[in-house]
Amino acid sequence: MSLQYHVKLAPGDVAPYVLLPGDPGRVAVVASQWDEAHEVASNREYVTYTGTYKGVPISCTSTGIGCPSTAIAMEELARVGAKTFVRIGTCGTFQDRVANGDMAIFDSAARYDGTSRLYAPIEFPAVASHEVVQAAIQASRELGYPFHVGTTRSSDAFYALHERPGSSFDGYWQSSWAEHFKDLRRLNVVAAEMESSVIFVLARIWGLRAGGIAVVLDNVLKVSGEAGEFDPQEQFEHGGDEIERLARMGSEIVRILAERDAAAGRPA
Amino acid sequence: MTLQYHVKLDDGDVAPSILLPGDPGRVPVIASFWDEAHEVASNREYVTYTGTYLGVPISCTSTGIGAPSTAIALEELARVGAKTFLRVGTCGSLQGRAKIGDVAIFDSAERHDGASRLYAPIEYPAAAHHEVVTAAIEAAAALGITSHVGTSFSTDLFYMPHEGFAFGGYQQSWARESLEDARRRGTLAAEMESSVLMVLTRIWGLRGGAISVVADDVFASTNEQGEIDAEATFDVGATNMERLAQVGSETVRILAEADSAGRV
Repeated sequence: MSLQYHVKLAPGDVAPYVLLPGDPGRVAVVASQWDEAHEVASNREYVTYTGTYKGVPISCTSTGIGCPSTAIAMEELARVGAKTFVRIGTCGTFQDRVANGDMAIFDSAARYDGTSRLYAPIEFPAVASHEVVQAAIQASRELGYPFHVGTTRSSDAFYALHERPGSSFDGYWQSSWAEHFKDLRRLNVVAAEMESSVIFVLARIWGLRAGGIAVVLDNVLKVSGEAGEFDPQEQFEHGGDEIERLARMGSEIVRILAERDAAAGRPA
Repeated sequence: MTLQYHVKLDDGDVAPSILLPGDPGRVPVIASFWDEAHEVASNREYVTYTGTYLGVPISCTSTGIGAPSTAIALEELARVGAKTFLRVGTCGSLQGRAKIGDVAIFDSAERHDGASRLYAPIEYPAAAHHEVVTAAIEAAAALGITSHVGTSFSTDLFYMPHEGFAFGGYQQSWARESLEDARRRGTLAAEMESSVLMVLTRIWGLRGGAISVVADDVFASTNEQGEIDAEATFDVGATNMERLAQVGSETVRILAEADSAGRV
């Protein structure tokens, strides 16, 4: 297999364990937590660093926003030898028990995306590997980060589906949106983000491992203003250290998985 | 809370952890592996035994076949205090590596049922609780029983309308490749109840999971004419029922031990 078209990676460029943030700007920040790291490719929204974390080979590739670009990254990363995919991102929450700054560990995803439907029928579950979920719980405990295990709602729309007019441009709104967030809260869905569903579906189809964590930036049901206005630049919390915590926890998950894989005699 | 309409159970009748076979005839068989057990209710397809297994309180309630009767059992069992639900059933293997007599541990399910759609939109995942999955893996390993972790194909149809399966040769084009496609996407085995169990327990914040002993190979259970012959090809013999009872009860014991140790 030769150089991959979009991510510009070839076999040997990435470790078996890959962290997947959405934002290409976060890759260097994530890699700064490692023992050593270097950029191996950068093309479009796909930036990749490879290095070691506490002696474990590790890579980080950005996916861009949404499932279409994420599916391309997964297809090409799998071709060059990636075996375990851990999404690290930010999310909103539907649950009042979850506070801003907490960690969400995704054991499954509700499939409100288009791409995963093209790969597998909608009845197929978007589920993380239980090994990644267990490693994430352990990492969160060891780091002392409050965490919540549950389902994320992975959606193709960032500005649509809010309960009141004001999220989409110029007040565009549909009546079917009115109870969407409340219904998800009633379904015990923990988080909202945009990439986990396709990551879980593809890894499962291929017999590879995937999981996902995200730091909570907002409560989706409370973030809009009085009149329903939605301005993430103003309303999302960015304390500054969220991405650093995300990077540390993602890297620790990889270290724990590598340790367990070695103990079980599994190839990485 | 009063006596429940279908299962005929009241508060105090069941343990917090429940094994759920489909067949009411299997409930006393499963309970025979416990320290002690007694029948607490029997109505329609719902038979319930409660007892202890290696000192751990445990119950077993049959669900009947399919998601509708299973949803009723889950609703009523949750009302009388059940917290952890483990389906123990049989399944047909879709993957050659899962042989007859092996145990399938379902961490998730494809939602080809009607009942779970009435509770939650189809995008919602039917996923088992990770603690149940981990405990089941540990239980099977401790008992020396070969297990496979994966997704179930949970369907409302036993006699799928593809060649040779439904009565009179009735066929629908969508069914022709449905099981082959499930095999291609890595789905482990087919059965009829796990999806609604996983969806409802997730919604309610309770713990759900499912294990099934492989009773047949889906792609080898047809005769020379391509007709399904379940009576001749399914192995639901004593050995397989014993495995189900043992892995199921042991999973409950491991969960109870972890719960009391404060390990989440």
